[in-house]
Amino acid sequence: MKLRFLETGAGTGAFNMGLDEALLESVAAGRSAPVLRLYRWEPAAVTIGYFQSMEAEVDLEACRAAGVDALRRSTGGGAVFHAAEITYSVVAPEGHPLAPADILESYRRVAGGIVEGLALLGVEAAFAPINDITAAGRKVSGNAQTRKLGCLLQHGTLLLDVDPERMFSLLRVPNEKLKGKLIEDVKARVAGLKGLLGREVGYGEAAEALRRGFAASFGRLEGGGGATLEASAPTGPELERAAALAAEKYSSPAWNLKR
Amino acid sequence: MIARLDHKVPGGKLLRVEVEFEGGSVLRVRVAGDFFAHPEASFEAAEAELGGVPTDRLAEAALGAFSRPGLVIYGAGAADIAATLGRALHEAQVS
Repeated sequence: MKLRFLETGAGTGAFNMGLDEALLESVAAGRSAPVLRLYRWEPAAVTIGYFQSMEAEVDLEACRAAGVDALRRSTGGGAVFHAAEITYSVVAPEGHPLAPADILESYRRVAGGIVEGLALLGVEAAFAPINDITAAGRKVSGNAQTRKLGCLLQHGTLLLDVDPERMFSLLRVPNEKLKGKLIEDVKARVAGLKGLLGREVGYGEAAEALRRGFAASFGRLEGGGGATLEASAPTGPELERAAALAAEKYSSPAWNLKR
Repeated sequence: MIARLDHKVPGGKLLRVEVEFEGGSVLRVRVAGDFFAHPEASFEAAEAELGGVPTDRLAEAALGAFSRPGLVIYGAGAADIAATLGRALHEAQVS
């Protein structure tokens, strides 16, 4: 299996989501091989799932005051606070070994790369349907998928650390009295690499483990050997399209507040 | 009037439904939450189809709309959505 590998570093929320969509368009049009991309978020951002209500989930005033972006993803699922994490995206045409018709199976196949990357870091983890990866009974990775233009786009996070106090200062909670309990719940149910390994794991170390983990895991889908990841960068037209999507879609109230 | 209700599907995701209605008719339905639906546009078509439905037929119509062929929902079933919409409307009407 051959994949185009992009490590695009830090981007704003709107750019990151715009580039994922631009890459999906490139693969759909046959201009790009299937893609594996690694990235992070600067500034920190809150994303909500495609079907969520921004108003119901996010305290936009608190986000503005904290300099945190807030935007809607093209994928379903829940609200995510993107700060100390590494994010990946995978784009493949439907029918590719990473994008079988069965959606849960495709989650499992893509998640295999993260599970393998975690193993390389010394963390035993497993896919927990629908869309999580857990280690020691705690969620360490959340994933979300959509299918458009005949392609799968799946993106997800691997937590380097968790900061539920900061997260809940940006999300709406049913009532303030519950906030303490919610924070304790997240501490019990969610873990970052720092908590799991007892040491700081930086973006670079996690990126290298994920790159190797994806290559090994994806290679096995075709009966052995590693997948070939060809290092690449977004093309000029892809960057232009990402910028346009960032400005016209992922920064627009029409999209972000549409539900 | 707008009826709203949140319902956490046991073992599944959170549904936050909103039903705008007037007289005996549904004007608009929105089903928000952290579930997944494929294709997304098919889910939105199901929501749109419920505009104009008589309020006393909302749950039944929603069950049909969200069970449409080709629509796959993870984290909530069509029956969960239909029941939550029906309950939201009922609670708003009796309150």
